[in-house]
Amino acid sequence: MKKKISIFVLLIILALSLYLALFAGYNDIGINLFSKLFNLENDSDNMLLTLLRFPRALKALIAGVCLALAGMFMQAISKNPLAEPYITGVSAGAGLGIVLSILFLNSSNYSIFGFLGALFACVLVVLFSGFSKFSITKLILIGLSINVFANALMSLIILINPMKSYTMMLVLSGGVTNNEIISNKFLFLIFVVLLIISALFVPKLNFLRLDSSLLETNKNKKYFYSATIIALCAFLTSISVFAAGILGFIGIIVPQISKMLFGYDYRYLFVSNILLGASVVLIADFCARSVIYPLQVPLGLVVAFIGAPVFVYFLTKKGDMFND
Amino acid sequence: MIKIENLNLKLDNLIFFENASITIPKNEITVLVGLNGTGKTTLLKVISGLLKPQSIKIEKSYKELFYLPQRIKYPQGITLFEYIESSFYKNSWKWFVTKEEKEKIEEVIALLELTDKKNTLIDNLSSGELQKANIALGLATKADILLLDEPISNMDLINQIKVLDIVKKISSTGITCVMVLHDINLSSSYGDNFIGLTKNKKVIQKKKDDFFTSENLKEIYGIDFKVIKDDKDFHIQIFN
Repeated sequence: MKKKISIFVLLIILALSLYLALFAGYNDIGINLFSKLFNLENDSDNMLLTLLRFPRALKALIAGVCLALAGMFMQAISKNPLAEPYITGVSAGAGLGIVLSILFLNSSNYSIFGFLGALFACVLVVLFSGFSKFSITKLILIGLSINVFANALMSLIILINPMKSYTMMLVLSGGVTNNEIISNKFLFLIFVVLLIISALFVPKLNFLRLDSSLLETNKNKKYFYSATIIALCAFLTSISVFAAGILGFIGIIVPQISKMLFGYDYRYLFVSNILLGASVVLIADFCARSVIYPLQVPLGLVVAFIGAPVFVYFLTKKGDMFND
Repeated sequence: MIKIENLNLKLDNLIFFENASITIPKNEITVLVGLNGTGKTTLLKVISGLLKPQSIKIEKSYKELFYLPQRIKYPQGITLFEYIESSFYKNSWKWFVTKEEKEKIEEVIALLELTDKKNTLIDNLSSGELQKANIALGLATKADILLLDEPISNMDLINQIKVLDIVKKISSTGITCVMVLHDINLSSSYGDNFIGLTKNKKVIQKKKDDFFTSENLKEIYGIDFKVIKDDKDFHIQIFN
């Protein structure tokens, strides 16, 4: 019962965040727009909504949900509360992709290169970890090494190209950009497909939550589920990079807060991570575009500024759940 | 029933079993005894297939095996019922357990006398209740053979007896149980079959009545024991 109430509260928070993302801000559209929305008057409010705010909110939402879910999956299969989606080398791969695209192509379609870099890093990490004798600890350490290597390369490129370093740093700070190399409809479609696959694997997490030594007699099943889930995480994280750049911390705080609210029932955690992940990034994006309007604070920084204190607050309240 | 012959197992040049033969009879309680490091846990791992010995000839006639290791961690924030439910998601892709599965869980919980704790959070259960919950987890998956590695360590005497009573009750419903126990007096009153592992890599396998002799115990533990038998039970004392 308590859990159902918590879900209801999260739904309300998401509704509020959607309101902020779509209707509030410097150009306050206000609630009366609901009436205008459905008749095709082509006024400026409507333009603002359909051309700017709606795509932006969609991407923020997708990024938040994907990161939160990937974080939940990674933490569940590694049984490590510190695991996060970027562990598979995704962030550094994405960063390197973005930096290289700015350096060589002068392109403004950073996100597609970020996506490709992220995916490439994931594939590399999974290949090195090997399928036959799969171990999550090995994967984390290989991911860490690739992250370190790619980060060093990225820093080097930024340092020796002072002319472009500002652009690079800005893009790397994360943010919802508006480029239409892949249409929003297509992005949304991929998102829905990933969401359905994630939902399929949620009950498996309820099995994998048992102590790993109890699962040993079911080793094959455990490996199969873990390997598939890692591949899924790679896609979820790469899509989030495509939608909103690199947003550290979401993949770790949202799943943790959800766990504090709902314990280890992954069916509730799945719903909670979707609602909370979306809300957090939507609110952060609202702040990013309205706090020092007309300037924009990079979304990644806003997430860090809001996320860290909120997370520490939750930890002081419920930190005793980590009984190590 | 499990029949193992020609078991040879060496781990890092340390010999555990040399041409050993072991039989685990069906529907009975088999107790493994022996000093630390003689290979009790290792044997359980061999039986459950987690450890591949150098050579083994094994015949088995069970459907589902459940191996409960010595120390395990528990997921927090879920109830006892949900804990037992976990194992049902192994094969099913459904988000919820079916009605029959729910009934099976209820049945197992009742068998283990945990009904009043059904909706208690795992975090708030005592170690005796947790151990019973683990056994329930095994039974819920329809296991017909349970391998329990020191199921009553870290428990007070009353809880030890409670858990062992449960094991006895379960075995009477047609489930084979294999346990590692350190208390020889308790094991003598609950076991049907005994397997003693000695330091010299010998396996002493006997029925209860033939197992508890001073000679056997001396061979297993290396010290003298006084064995007193009354009408149904053995009383074993350290002999000084």
